[in-house]
Amino acid sequence: MRYVLIGGSAAAVSAVEAIRSVDKLSPIDLFSDEKTPLFSRVLLPYYVAEELSKPLLNFRSADFFEENKVTAHIGVRVREIDPQSKTAAADDGNTYAYDKLLLATGGNAIIPKIPGVDKEGISPLKTMQDAENIYNFKGDRAVVIGAGSIGVESCISLMRRGVRVTLLEQLGHVLPTVFDDEAAGIIRNLIEQMGIEVITGERAIEFTGNGRVQSVVTSTGEIECDNVILSVGVRPAVELAEKAGIEIGMMGGITTDGGMMTSCQDIYAAGDVCETFDIARNQIFINAIWPMAVEQGRIAGSNMAGQDKQYGGSVRMNSIGNFIGIPAMSMGVTRTDECSYADEECHFQEIKKRTQNTYKKIILKNGCIVGAIFIGVGQTQRSGIISILLRRQIDVSDYIQALMSNNLNFMDILPLLRRYGDKFTEPEYKELMDTGL
Amino acid sequence: MQVIKVDPKKCTGCHQCELWCATEIASVAKELAGAINEEPQPVPRVYVEGKKLALQCRHCVEAPCLDACPNGTMRRDAETGLVYVHEPTCIACWMCVMVCPFGIINPSPTYKVAIKCDLCRNMGYPICAEVCPTQAITVEPRQDYRKVF
Repeated sequence: MRYVLIGGSAAAVSAVEAIRSVDKLSPIDLFSDEKTPLFSRVLLPYYVAEELSKPLLNFRSADFFEENKVTAHIGVRVREIDPQSKTAAADDGNTYAYDKLLLATGGNAIIPKIPGVDKEGISPLKTMQDAENIYNFKGDRAVVIGAGSIGVESCISLMRRGVRVTLLEQLGHVLPTVFDDEAAGIIRNLIEQMGIEVITGERAIEFTGNGRVQSVVTSTGEIECDNVILSVGVRPAVELAEKAGIEIGMMGGITTDGGMMTSCQDIYAAGDVCETFDIARNQIFINAIWPMAVEQGRIAGSNMAGQDKQYGGSVRMNSIGNFIGIPAMSMGVTRTDECSYADEECHFQEIKKRTQNTYKKIILKNGCIVGAIFIGVGQTQRSGIISILLRRQIDVSDYIQALMSNNLNFMDILPLLRRYGDKFTEPEYKELMDTGL
Repeated sequence: MQVIKVDPKKCTGCHQCELWCATEIASVAKELAGAINEEPQPVPRVYVEGKKLALQCRHCVEAPCLDACPNGTMRRDAETGLVYVHEPTCIACWMCVMVCPFGIINPSPTYKVAIKCDLCRNMGYPICAEVCPTQAITVEPRQDYRKVF
């Protein structure tokens, strides 16, 4: 068996581990177009903030490839794959034969078509090269366009380096895909208190400057700046798949079946590049987040090595971590209208609890959790209990009080798990169910 | 693989395990009187809540915290199979907290590190099992349920 893995981040590395847990010997060729191997993309804002040096960005030890007997082609791009002859042609001039191939090419940063976007001093934050560029930004005034997770983290990173930052978001509130407007209001206050200027509901129309960016023209004004970070999202990097005739879905990612295989026999996909079934939205969706990439990589890798594993579906989850000073996280949908395929039979409920600096909300659809938001110390620690109830789609109708309680704990919901015992067959749950409590 | 078992018939909910876990593992003083007066308060890795049963990390076979950790801070010990936090590299992103189905990973607000039970891997034997006055907490091999079902 010959394995070719295209991509070098979460999904590909997870696939390597899965393959090697079954197949210790077959050759694995891994291709990554990044020159730096094994760095964690989600940590790039920490690098920009000077909180982590380059070696600390690694998510596996430097000898990972050697230890797992992987031939790693670092900085080598695969130009084309041919599903007929089962080969991959790389830009090192060689062609590599495969029996099983994984597309874990991730995403590309979206570059909005705004006049002047090609000026010097404007960069997305996606690759290590981007991070280096931003790290070496000159000047003390920056505009960050797009207030998603990377946008907000970039702002704070630059602010910690002494840069004056303006955050520009065209939608009505910050972190629009992560929080509802109430939660976003808390976050906005916190980042404004740090000294970051936040402008919402305004679009960038043009970048001015002679060669180098000097200002961002918005729908109502002009913001002078020396640098711009573009964080308006990512798009699946499907160029290779498209050329090979592999099916691309409605959301723009590679379509996969329950075993992470693409429309093409022996070619699998995992991570930010692919579409999966979203449990909360009840539709096919792209959940481009780290934990899902690891899970999908494991399923794909296991199946490539001859096992038969099914993916249970993905859920969006985001945690803003210690960047804003208090823990803040959310999972699934943030508003009921994000659930598709809802008909009159669907009964939605939103339950909220709010204090000055904490906020907790769960969204139920027909008694099952489809979304949750947790902000503040005391609210976040037991969020994982909610996440497992969401992922397994357990009817929690008669447990709402326990779930919203500040004293939420696992033992209180153990009887509920036992009621749905067939969905919790793992030994770690059985051990506790056996206690009879 | 060795895991902690708690016998619900013997557990009286006395919280001794919590007290000693916090003192022995998390406190600076390492003795009870000192630990109780310490600021910030030492945080235990075992919880007695809701029912009379001590709950620690289950060291899941497929551990969601391992998948969620973006920089390899959450690790599985190759020899013992136990999941532990490699504290020096924790960046306090709380991804593990968000996915732990048992809610037993504690985001330490003071030290910006995720706190959870590692069966006292640096001490040889878990302190909670050692101090349990009714021997409700024991260390036993994990039963392979796949053989049962």
